[in-house]
Amino acid sequence: MNDGLRLGDRVFASRLLLGTGKFSSTPAMLRAVRASGAELVTLALRRFNRERSEDDIYGPLSTLEGITLVPNTSGAMNANEAVRAALLGRELSGSPFVKLEIHPNPHHLLPDPIETYEAAKALVAEGFFVLPYIAADPVLAKRLEEIGCAAVMPLGAAIGSGQGLTTLSMLKLILRDAGVPVIVDAGLRAPSEAAATMEMGGDAVLINSAIAAAENPELMAEAFGAAVRAGRQAWRAGLMPKSELAVATSPLTAFLGEPVL
Amino acid sequence: MSVALPDWLDPSPWLGLLQQAGRAAVRQAAAADSPGIREFAVLLSPAAAGELETMAQRAQALTRRHFGRTIALYAPLYVSNYCPSGCSYCGFASDRWIRRHKMTPAELEAETGALKKMGLEEILLLTGDRVATADYGYVRDSVAYLASRFHNVAAEVFAMSEEEYGGLAAAGCTSITMYQETYDRDRYERLHGWGPKRDYTWRLDAPARALANGIRVAGVGALLGLSEPLPEMLCLFRHATYLRRRFWKSGIAISFPRIRPQSGGYAAEFPVSERLLAQIICAFRICLPDVPLVLSTRESARFRDGIAGVGISKMSVASKTSVGGYSDAVVRSPGQFEIEDQRGVESFCAMLAAKGLQPVFKNWDAVYREPAA
Repeated sequence: MNDGLRLGDRVFASRLLLGTGKFSSTPAMLRAVRASGAELVTLALRRFNRERSEDDIYGPLSTLEGITLVPNTSGAMNANEAVRAALLGRELSGSPFVKLEIHPNPHHLLPDPIETYEAAKALVAEGFFVLPYIAADPVLAKRLEEIGCAAVMPLGAAIGSGQGLTTLSMLKLILRDAGVPVIVDAGLRAPSEAAATMEMGGDAVLINSAIAAAENPELMAEAFGAAVRAGRQAWRAGLMPKSELAVATSPLTAFLGEPVL
Repeated sequence: MSVALPDWLDPSPWLGLLQQAGRAAVRQAAAADSPGIREFAVLLSPAAAGELETMAQRAQALTRRHFGRTIALYAPLYVSNYCPSGCSYCGFASDRWIRRHKMTPAELEAETGALKKMGLEEILLLTGDRVATADYGYVRDSVAYLASRFHNVAAEVFAMSEEEYGGLAAAGCTSITMYQETYDRDRYERLHGWGPKRDYTWRLDAPARALANGIRVAGVGALLGLSEPLPEMLCLFRHATYLRRRFWKSGIAISFPRIRPQSGGYAAEFPVSERLLAQIICAFRICLPDVPLVLSTRESARFRDGIAGVGISKMSVASKTSVGGYSDAVVRSPGQFEIEDQRGVESFCAMLAAKGLQPVFKNWDAVYREPAA
């Protein structure tokens, strides 16, 4: 694989990760996963239901071939809760990955940087490949990299908001300096935004609401898959320079005289 | 409202908007970027009734964005109907001649078994007001038992002290529901003739006491039909946003109970039509897009089917409002109010599926409870 996404000890061909909440039914969610070409799929531990199979999203996902499951700790309000949830998620799914999300406010669901950092340390020590969901904070991203996270997942905008890359300037700083993969997570609405993320060097994107809440989720999943591939190819191809240099009518360097050749 | 309300609750600055708003203002409010109390008042106004379809479209889009194509399910579990209070509108009021019962541990186990068979994982425990027969200790122990069987346990019981809410949270209670019934102090006093529930302020401050002491979510609401509905809804909106601002780590949820027939024959003095109820729900959804909005089986199947996913994100299902209603092992008592939507879990879920909505039975995990020391 020439251009794989390296996370932990694995390499993935697809750079689109899918979230699995919010779908109208489990079959609709599975169709979207397949149509997207995603190989990494996150699922909330709170939606594991061992007692009622119709309500369980883990069982059906675990039967899909070529899919690596990433349990997430959605619902955790602090580091202790997240660590417990991650350990339980690993027991139930066998996955070495965890998407660490800690959002004390259940309305805007923005991640708590302090609790996330503490939990990440503990989970790295437990041997997880930790994928922390964070605000687009370049300093926090480096701190999490330093303690051994397998990637960082900064947000484009608040979860489910569909506002797009509102954190663009911070994302660019994160991308410029990151030593681990940067997966832009949350807030994206249109495939063009996913493509733009990849064109500027994002390593992957995670999409849930934009697909689940689309009129046709399966078709939208396919569109995001194509957009991520196109954006990645564009980044590898190298975009041509955009800026045209202006030529001023009153030169600023005339005072230096004619160049001596 | 002649008796002064606290500043954080007082709706009077926005009452004028209810009358002044025109349809253009309604359309602007429905499309606003960050709608607040002004937009909410405009959307409640009579002018907005003419834009209900516009509001419903917007509400559905926002519900879908924040909650997806899902409906979270829960069931109420009445564990006791003893009550010392005299609420004019309630079937459990102490002057009603009804069979009183409090579940024994064995009966609670039987009810739990019946609810588990139905597949439910979020249970709302209910009692009457505080009474020696079913006191704080009884509620706490019942919560602890339910928490050993279900992932998510909520309580809709009497107003408690800070310390009691802390104990309830430690026993495994995730959320509480506390309807103010009416925010109008005069009417509150008239409707609550006797008993501990007469204390308006103690009840009003209960959600804040709960959230300050480890309860994660507070559900609020006003019983529609008791007072002028539009000022009531302004108060409810302000109450909810006050709690959200004050407790940033907490969740709020809003319910829309409407007076139903019950024993004692109280008729709503301010009846709320289905159209107005739908308008209220849409106004809340547009202005509080990320807050769970809850609807019970008090409402008809037709209304519930229509509003599911259009504002409403969480619903009770197959409810019984009588003590021991789910299992045959228990002596049954009359319900607190009449259930309109009597469908079972399977047929309700089939309806949701036909509407492209997924029922969610488990949306929480017991692992998020603090383990006992």
